[in-house]
Amino acid sequence: MPHGCAEIIPMQQHRALILRSNRFLGSALVDKGLVTTGDLEEANGKFMKAIQSSDLKRASILSMLLFDFKKLEEAKLLDYLVEERKLGLVDLDFIELQSLRPMNIDLSLCWASSTVPFDHVEGTYLLASCYYMSAPVVKYWEDLLDGRVIWYGTTIASLSRALERIEEIHEAEDSANEDE
Amino acid sequence: MPYSVLILDDDADFNCLLTDIFEQAGYIVTSLTDPIEAVDAFRETDYDLVVTDHRMPNMAGAEFLKVIKKIKPEVPVIMVSGYLENDTIRELISGGVGGVFLKPLNIFSLLERTAELIDEAKKVENAPESDAGDIGDASGVDAGVQLGFVFRSFPCKSGASASFAKRLYSLRNFKSSLSLIGEPGMHYRSICEDIRGFYENEAEHFVYLSKGSFDQEQALSLIKVAKQEGAERVTCVLLELEGMDESQKKLATSLAKHQGEFEELGVALRTVFCVCGDLDALFDEGLIDENLYILMGTAEVLVPPLRDCDIDVGVMAQQLVVEVAREKSLAAVPRFERSARDLFRQHKWTRNYQELRATVRKILEDHPGDIITHAAVKSALKFNEDVSLRTRFESHLSSQKIDYLRAAAILLGGDRDQTASFFGTDVNAIENQM
Repeated sequence: MPHGCAEIIPMQQHRALILRSNRFLGSALVDKGLVTTGDLEEANGKFMKAIQSSDLKRASILSMLLFDFKKLEEAKLLDYLVEERKLGLVDLDFIELQSLRPMNIDLSLCWASSTVPFDHVEGTYLLASCYYMSAPVVKYWEDLLDGRVIWYGTTIASLSRALERIEEIHEAEDSANEDE
Repeated sequence: MPYSVLILDDDADFNCLLTDIFEQAGYIVTSLTDPIEAVDAFRETDYDLVVTDHRMPNMAGAEFLKVIKKIKPEVPVIMVSGYLENDTIRELISGGVGGVFLKPLNIFSLLERTAELIDEAKKVENAPESDAGDIGDASGVDAGVQLGFVFRSFPCKSGASASFAKRLYSLRNFKSSLSLIGEPGMHYRSICEDIRGFYENEAEHFVYLSKGSFDQEQALSLIKVAKQEGAERVTCVLLELEGMDESQKKLATSLAKHQGEFEELGVALRTVFCVCGDLDALFDEGLIDENLYILMGTAEVLVPPLRDCDIDVGVMAQQLVVEVAREKSLAAVPRFERSARDLFRQHKWTRNYQELRATVRKILEDHPGDIITHAAVKSALKFNEDVSLRTRFESHLSSQKIDYLRAAAILLGGDRDQTASFFGTDVNAIENQM
């Protein structure tokens, strides 16, 4: 059984995971030749500013490289995941998402690791992630879910929209509970 | 990559002269005076070139040449002699000698021909391997790899060290920081000297700062001196980073980020972080802060432990023997018996280069003869083990103590007061320990 955190635990709790997963992701992107060390240095600087200002939702090396510095094309990254890592892709916009609470998964962990479980079939969790190249993210989730995981790659936009939709689902659940 | 040369000359003075010439030129030299011993050494060791005298007791140079050409015909040979008739020279050349030099020697021609012969031999040796497009075989052995750049801290005869050297070379133009991460006892300074050697530009300066010498004043002073000496770019190598105190680690971050007084020095700055230990564990223990942890991830290279470079260890040991022999002004450089070299390759070297160096020194102190025997190596290894048994127990207990302190500090959210209270001591004691 997953032993995820209960309700609304602040992102701060995942600070170490955010640091570690971003550090590994950056190194992996350089190792695979997807960005240069110079690009990563720039992104690291901005990443640390976000960390120090506790803007943890903005603290993503990947989104900084993609959108702020435009040093990486997301299509190239997805191509790499499909061709080299044999990963399937999923567009979460077409998935009917559900509350994470029955799975006992903390939403802030999803934001922190850019990963979301989008389905649960016969004890196996289907996970969509933008951080599959970051070993700590993969390890964290696989430990959490006892290894019963099938990984998919997704885009940052798709993941962000999905997490926002799940937030709305959780808010609706909270309102319904209050009404009762 | 330093090449190894076997020198055979029964004239001890001339042997020393040749040894000096080749060592000064960066070769690893085994010098011998007896042809029979030289044949044994040649059979047991992978030399890149042999330099031999012609007139010797027991076996003439021509005969020696025939014997070694039967063993390994691919190794080039240079003949050096006081006098040779033209016919003899012709015979020697047809017998496979790559160069004949008459005394007095023209050192430059000798070294030039040496380099040419080794180059030619390596090209032939590498030709089928380059077709395969692979570095070494499944065991990680890579006797023929040619890096295309100079690298001395590892002989690069093992797959792990060759990959390490190539990765360092590929990162040589790192913009602001590079991290070298390895096990205890690594020879970081030599590795950084190799990085310095990647640049031909004289305006590239490296300064070395360690726990005992790293403060703002010292760092600024060294950088300014380098600038005065014509440096256009200064690379600051921070050794033993994990052991530095908090203020030094903050200073390391400022240096790497070119903040504060490091911003206005008018010279390009870079930083090399050298760390012993697992970076994630050090981060968890609070020995590396968030800033350094991220900074160090930009360009990170793992230094291979010696146990992963077993073939290199034999050559490194021989290099150390040369170093010690020179220090002690020994008449000849001792060489290893094959079984002795095997012991070096099999040992685990938990304290890496530091342990290797201590072992070689111990051997030469106790057994200063021409041959380093299996027994001598075994005894030195055992001595180090026995001597370090107490040290290891002390270090084990001491590290456990620190581990408990760190574990408590982590579990108590880094609160020193609570940690002190947990151990029933005062905060200062905890601060000092951590």
